[in-house]
Amino acid sequence: MKQKVSDDVTRRNFLKTAASAAAVAALPGVTAAAENSGLSDAVRYGFIGTGTQGCTLLRFLTTIPAGRCVATCDIYPPNLKKGVDTIGSKPDTYEDYRQLLGRKEIDAVLIATPLYLHARMTIDALEAGKHVFIEKSMFFKEEEAEQIRKAAAAHPKQVLQVGLHRRSSVLYQVAMEMVRKGALGKVLLVQSRVTTHSSWRRPVADAKYERLINWRMYREYSGGLMAEMGSHFIDIANWLFDSEPVSVIGTGGLDYWKDGREVHDNVHSIFDYNGGGRHHFHCMLFNGHHSNGVMIMGDQGTLDVTDDRGIYFREPVAKVSSGPAKENWWAGATVSKAASQKGVLIFPEKGARDSGFVDRELRYAKQWLASMGIYQPEEPFDPYWGELVNFFASIREGKPVVAPLEVGVADAMAVINANRAIDEVQKPSRSKKTT
Amino acid sequence: MPAAVIRYEASHLAMGTEFALVAYGDDPQYLTAVGNEVFEEIDRLEAQLSKFNPKSEVSVINRTAASGNIYVEPKLFELLLNAVNHSESTGGSFDVTAGPLMKAWGFFRDKGRVPANSEIAQVLRRVGYRHVRLNRADRTIHFDVEGLEIDLGAIGKGYAVDRAVDVLRRYGITRALVSSGTSSLYALGTPPGARGWSISLRNPYDSERAANVIYLRNCSLSTSGNYEKFFKVGAKIYAHILNPTTGKPVENMLAAIILAPCARDADALSTAFYVMGVERSREYLTTHRDLMALFYLPVGRDQRFRRVMLRSAGSNDIGAFFSRTTDRRRSATRAGSSKIRRRASHSRMSGNRATAC
Repeated sequence: MKQKVSDDVTRRNFLKTAASAAAVAALPGVTAAAENSGLSDAVRYGFIGTGTQGCTLLRFLTTIPAGRCVATCDIYPPNLKKGVDTIGSKPDTYEDYRQLLGRKEIDAVLIATPLYLHARMTIDALEAGKHVFIEKSMFFKEEEAEQIRKAAAAHPKQVLQVGLHRRSSVLYQVAMEMVRKGALGKVLLVQSRVTTHSSWRRPVADAKYERLINWRMYREYSGGLMAEMGSHFIDIANWLFDSEPVSVIGTGGLDYWKDGREVHDNVHSIFDYNGGGRHHFHCMLFNGHHSNGVMIMGDQGTLDVTDDRGIYFREPVAKVSSGPAKENWWAGATVSKAASQKGVLIFPEKGARDSGFVDRELRYAKQWLASMGIYQPEEPFDPYWGELVNFFASIREGKPVVAPLEVGVADAMAVINANRAIDEVQKPSRSKKTT
Repeated sequence: MPAAVIRYEASHLAMGTEFALVAYGDDPQYLTAVGNEVFEEIDRLEAQLSKFNPKSEVSVINRTAASGNIYVEPKLFELLLNAVNHSESTGGSFDVTAGPLMKAWGFFRDKGRVPANSEIAQVLRRVGYRHVRLNRADRTIHFDVEGLEIDLGAIGKGYAVDRAVDVLRRYGITRALVSSGTSSLYALGTPPGARGWSISLRNPYDSERAANVIYLRNCSLSTSGNYEKFFKVGAKIYAHILNPTTGKPVENMLAAIILAPCARDADALSTAFYVMGVERSREYLTTHRDLMALFYLPVGRDQRFRRVMLRSAGSNDIGAFFSRTTDRRRSATRAGSSKIRRRASHSRMSGNRATAC
């Protein structure tokens, strides 16, 4: 990892603690990327589903020599071509994924297909002896949890990784470190949201492909916003509370984009965890003011992760201790707003400005975070890239899977239950007119 | 068996700064409840005194007192009387009506500007404590000029510290320290086993180092300095403390520190002494009691400074003791209390006379 050397105290302090913090940053296999491409023992993989998300992953895969794409598959010819163009390794192409799975020399498959196909393809791939990377959510229907578990148990030596890529984000790893090391105190609330003004629709040249291209809009194939957006944040809350929700309530509706779609464009869920933790997730498609992110709220602080910035706010709480302390206080001139109000930018660090009071306070706060080994100035790689590197490292070197089976199951089950809560548990709350 | 010593520490954002409170007692729950009372009192005062809040009593006075007699809440009236007294006794060096000047120099925003002399003259027409008419009989205020503005920025935080200490005393707390930002503070009693509350006065050129260390017992301290708010035009630095009579920033002064029995007076006088300078302050002290003043004055251009200390009659008994250790460094810490490393002491303060180092 490269670190810029500077005179900044914070940076120096950070470097001192970097060794201990390296556990946070370093993903297995990261250094392998520096080696020449075309490793002789590269994992030979096939890629199933080369649409928008598939090609996003393929772009990152072009820079990971630990894997070599030997085949791609898509039932929609333009996407199949797009996938081949993106990966650039002249893979064999298939329209039927079973034919791809039949190729003996293929070690692994990565699957980025519509949600309703996830379980079937994952199980088929495991049974064909392949390692599997499956995009989130892991599955669509409740009963598929057991089916995947059974298939995975029958093939214990094959890696199964779920594409919950925020698990591979250093920003979120730092957030978890802050939680684990008590920087936020007792965390009782996670508020997360995805807000955007977007139709969430992909252009369809020929109307006969509408349901194929815009599968996310139709309940036959899709878990809607909860599956596509919520699953990421549900996983973050599960990760943070180190468990899965015990109950969920929710509401939602198709409030704005009444264009023939079947899934909601405005959803809210509140998940309860054992021990008092709660997670409120909200997603809407008609207003992007609040951007995307998560706020982790404890009794001693808040971590606001919005887009790719993490800002820490100290909760000004009283400290009560036994016995006298050495009292050393400082006096100077009037100071402006205190750091706890402005928030401490933990991540990433952008251009240090003047050395006013607030900046000094930020420096103290950063030194404090660094002293706990949890201050991280920047995200060293894209989390998508990280999760893919990890997948190959798990296959080649037996590195732990970053988002394994049960993480995916807990996540997908919570998505299913949240959608059920929204659809089934809504009760009229209108007061009855009295005459 | 004596009860266990419990230490309570909390901070609270108000009046554009962070108030800090440390209190000792024997019951954590009780201390916490008292702390809440203290901060609620400070919030009430901010809601009353802030000129930035349009519904505060001060804002209402500013909008209406030019057109009639406005009734004033008794405690605020008392504070305004005290402020006007300070103005009179300092020849207008402290002035609660100086707000429009601050505005003209851009000190309420982040960016400073140098107004033309003609503009300053214009602004000075609606500045001046003499235009504030306080009628004790019916407890009303009236401005005899349009555009006058009360701005309690140079006394309100000290006043809030005093009121916080009143709350502490009312609840039987005998060992506590209250500070507003790091500008004004009051040390109530002493910490257990100590002769006073240790206060490091920051070096005017280096916030990480102490220029003096002082121990306080039942005493308040306030600082006016050019450290935090200033702007530069070319090579010239304009500090945010203005002389209300000339309308221009004070020059050749780094800091004025006042030790006094109450924080309200310390706050107002630190500003006044900063404006008046050493000689006029010395004069002031010949006719007033129970005050100590410490000045940091610039020497040359390479970040050297000299200290001047002045004392009034009675100052030996106000509960302030200087430490011989003056050169302390501040270590990485959050706001409020600090761990301090001791360094070799090489400078000493003596009382009763002006000392230059």
